[in-house]
Amino acid sequence: MITLSSLACSEFLGARIPTPFGSPICALRSSPRCAALHAPATAAAMATLYDVLGIAAGATGGEVKAAYRRLARECHPDVVAADRKGASADEFMRIHAAYATLSNPEKRADYDRRLAAAAATAIGRQQWSPRGPRPFPSSSSSPSVATSFSGFRRRTWETDQCW
Amino acid sequence: MAEQFYTVASDSENTGDDKVQSAFPDLAIGIDIGTSKCSVAIWNGTQVELLRNPRNQKLMRSYVMFKDDSPSGGVSEELAHGEQEIFSGSAVFNMKRLVGRVDTDPVVHASKTLPFLVQTLDIGVRPFIAALVNNVWRSTTPEEVLAIFLVELKAMAEVQLKRRIRTAILTIPVSFSRFQKTRIERACAMAGLHVLRLMPEPTSVALLYAQQQQLSLHENMGSGIEKVALIFNMGAGYCDVAITATAGGVSQIKALLGCTMGGEDILQNVLCHLLPNFDTFCADHSMDKIKSMGLLRIATQDAIHKLSSQPSVIINVDLGDGNKVCKTLNRSEFEEVNSKLFEKCEKLIMQCLVDAKFTAEDINDVILVGGCSNILKIRSLVLGLCKRENLYEGIDLLEAAVCGAALEGAVASGISDPSGSLDLLTIQATPLSLGIRADGDGFAAIINRNTAIPARKDMLFTTAHDNQMEALIVVYEGEGKKVEENHLLGYFKITGIPPAPKGTAEISVCMDIDASDVLRVLAGVVLPGTQNAVSPFIEVRMPTLGDGHGWCAQALAKMYGSSLDLATIPKKLQQ
Repeated sequence: MITLSSLACSEFLGARIPTPFGSPICALRSSPRCAALHAPATAAAMATLYDVLGIAAGATGGEVKAAYRRLARECHPDVVAADRKGASADEFMRIHAAYATLSNPEKRADYDRRLAAAAATAIGRQQWSPRGPRPFPSSSSSPSVATSFSGFRRRTWETDQCW
Repeated sequence: MAEQFYTVASDSENTGDDKVQSAFPDLAIGIDIGTSKCSVAIWNGTQVELLRNPRNQKLMRSYVMFKDDSPSGGVSEELAHGEQEIFSGSAVFNMKRLVGRVDTDPVVHASKTLPFLVQTLDIGVRPFIAALVNNVWRSTTPEEVLAIFLVELKAMAEVQLKRRIRTAILTIPVSFSRFQKTRIERACAMAGLHVLRLMPEPTSVALLYAQQQQLSLHENMGSGIEKVALIFNMGAGYCDVAITATAGGVSQIKALLGCTMGGEDILQNVLCHLLPNFDTFCADHSMDKIKSMGLLRIATQDAIHKLSSQPSVIINVDLGDGNKVCKTLNRSEFEEVNSKLFEKCEKLIMQCLVDAKFTAEDINDVILVGGCSNILKIRSLVLGLCKRENLYEGIDLLEAAVCGAALEGAVASGISDPSGSLDLLTIQATPLSLGIRADGDGFAAIINRNTAIPARKDMLFTTAHDNQMEALIVVYEGEGKKVEENHLLGYFKITGIPPAPKGTAEISVCMDIDASDVLRVLAGVVLPGTQNAVSPFIEVRMPTLGDGHGWCAQALAKMYGSSLDLATIPKKLQQ
C-alpha cells in the first residue's frame, strides 16, 4: 500500500498562503540578477523544462548541467537578498526539478515524448504557443496566477523528479 | 539551568595574534566540535585561518574538567590537563556521541565504559551523566558540557578577533537526527551563539574542495566540466561518506551517508580484545578501577596510533589487584579485531555510490579526512573501492571540516572577495528521509534522502476507519520501513475530516525544507479529487519534541491506538 506518488502542491499552497515558508536567517548578498525571472507569469504554466533552464531543446547534457549551475548561482536562496528567500526557494526548486529531469537521459526522453504529445493537443486547442515568451511561474509571489494552476493536472512530473 | 553561570568574561590575556582585523563585524566563525578534538576558523579577508588557544594549539581536546566549582574546558587552560587527569572521572568528554540520545541507545550503553558516570534507566529519556567532583558524582548533561566548551571557544575567538562573536557555522555528523541538531543549537544558544547553519562534515569538506577546484580551474567556469569527489570522513565518533559534483564553485551534494562509528569504537574493540571482561571491569566505578582503566585507554590509544607506522606494538599496563595486560599487538590482529567495522565502512561507501548513481570510474578525486584516515586499512579500503592509487592532496585531514565551515561562514555572511575565491555555493541534500506514520506502523517517506535542499513535497493520505473525523500526523526521520526504526520528530492532529467511508477522505501532507534546513510540515483535509482545502491547514515546525521523546510514540499508541491512523493512497488514485 505504500506509494511515493505526490502531487504538485506548491501552486495551491501558494494560493492559500501567500508566503508560507519565510526564512528567518538573513544572508546579506543582494542580487538583482534574477529580475528577469519575474516577468509577468501569464504563460507561466506552459513553460517547458528547457525554458526553465533557458536552453534549447537540443541542448547537450553538459549544457544542461552548466545552465543549472549558472541559474543556481543566481537563484539559490543562499545567494539572494534576505527578502527574496521565499520566492527564490520556489525558483530554485523549479530549476532543480527541470535539471533533475533533463540531466537523466531516460527521464528526459520520456519528458520529450510527453511534451510532443501535449504540444500537439494544445496547439490543436490554440492554448499553447511553443514559441512564445515563457518566464517562470512564480507561485508564491503571485497568488492570482497560482489559482489558475489548480486544474492543471499533468504537472506532477516536474515535482516527481525532485530527487 | 542558569545561563549566567557559563558566561565567561572576555578579559583573558591577549595572545598577541593580531593579524585578524575586525573588518567584517558580523562574520560568522566556523566551529568543528569533534568527539575528540575541536577547532575554530575564520575567513580573515584573504583566506581561512585557524585560531589558536593560549597553548598555541589549533586542535584542542574536547573535554570539560569538573574539578572544583568552576568547570573548565580544554581551550583556555594555560596548562594542559594530563591524559591521566582527563581519564580520572572528573572530566566529561565524547559529548558529541552522547548529545541528543536517549538511554536506550546502544551508543549511550557503549559509553558506560568511559571514566565519567553514564547511567541509564533504559526508559527512553536522556541518560544521566556525572563527573567526579571532590569525591561526589555531580550530574550534568551533554548540552551543558558542550555549552561550557563553546563559551570557552567563543571567548578565545573574541579575544583574538577583538570583537563580539554572535554567529557560527558548526559542522555535524551526517547521521545526526533533527532532534540531535536541536540539541546542538540549544548548546550554542546557552553559549550565546546563534547557529547560522549546521553543516554535515563531508559537505563542509566538499565546499573547501570546490574552492580549491575553482581557484585551480578558473577557465572551466560555466563550461559544465565537473569533477566528482568522494569524501570519506572518519573521526573519533562518526563515519561519513559524501559524493560531490563540483564545477564553477558550485558544489552539488549528490549523496551522503553516515553512521555512529569511529575511533572510539576501534579503541573499544581493541580494549575488549586486550581485556575480555572490559565491559564489566569498571562497572562499579571505583576510584582504583577508573584509574587503571584510564592507564589502559592511554596505552591502547597510543598503540593504535603507532600501528599506523609500525607493524606491531607492545602494550604493558598494570591494572592492579593482580590484573595485568601485557601483550604484543600486531597490525593484522588489529585489523582482525576491527574487521566488522571496516566492512561497515565498505558498505557505506558502496551504498553512497549507488545513491549518487555513480560508479568508482566516475570518481575524479578521493578525499580522506578525519583522525582515522591515518589507519592504513582505512586508506587501502577506500582507495580500493574507488579503484584509485592515490588520495587527493592539498586537504589537511584534521582541518578540512573547520576550514569549510569558515568558508560557509564568510559566504553566508555575505562577504565577497575580489579574487572570486568566495564565489561558492553548496547545494545541500537531505541526509535522511522524512515522512509520516501510515498503514499501521509503516513509514511513508515524503521527502527521500539525498533530495536537494530547499525541497518541498507533498503526498495524499486517507483515513483508516469509517467516519474517522480526526487523524494524527506523526513525523519521523530515517530509512527504516517501520516507524520504530526511525527518529520521531513530532506529531499533531488534523481535525474536521468530513464523515465518509474509510479510504475516501483526502488528507494532504506537505513537507518543506528551506535553504536554512528548517523543516515545516503542513497538513490538512482537501476535498477529494481537488486541491481545495476544507478548512485551514496546520503548519508545524519540526522537531517539536522535548527530552522524553522515547515515550511519546508509546504514549500516543496507548491513548489512541489505531483510531486516528492514516493510510497511504495507491499511486494511481493520487490525483
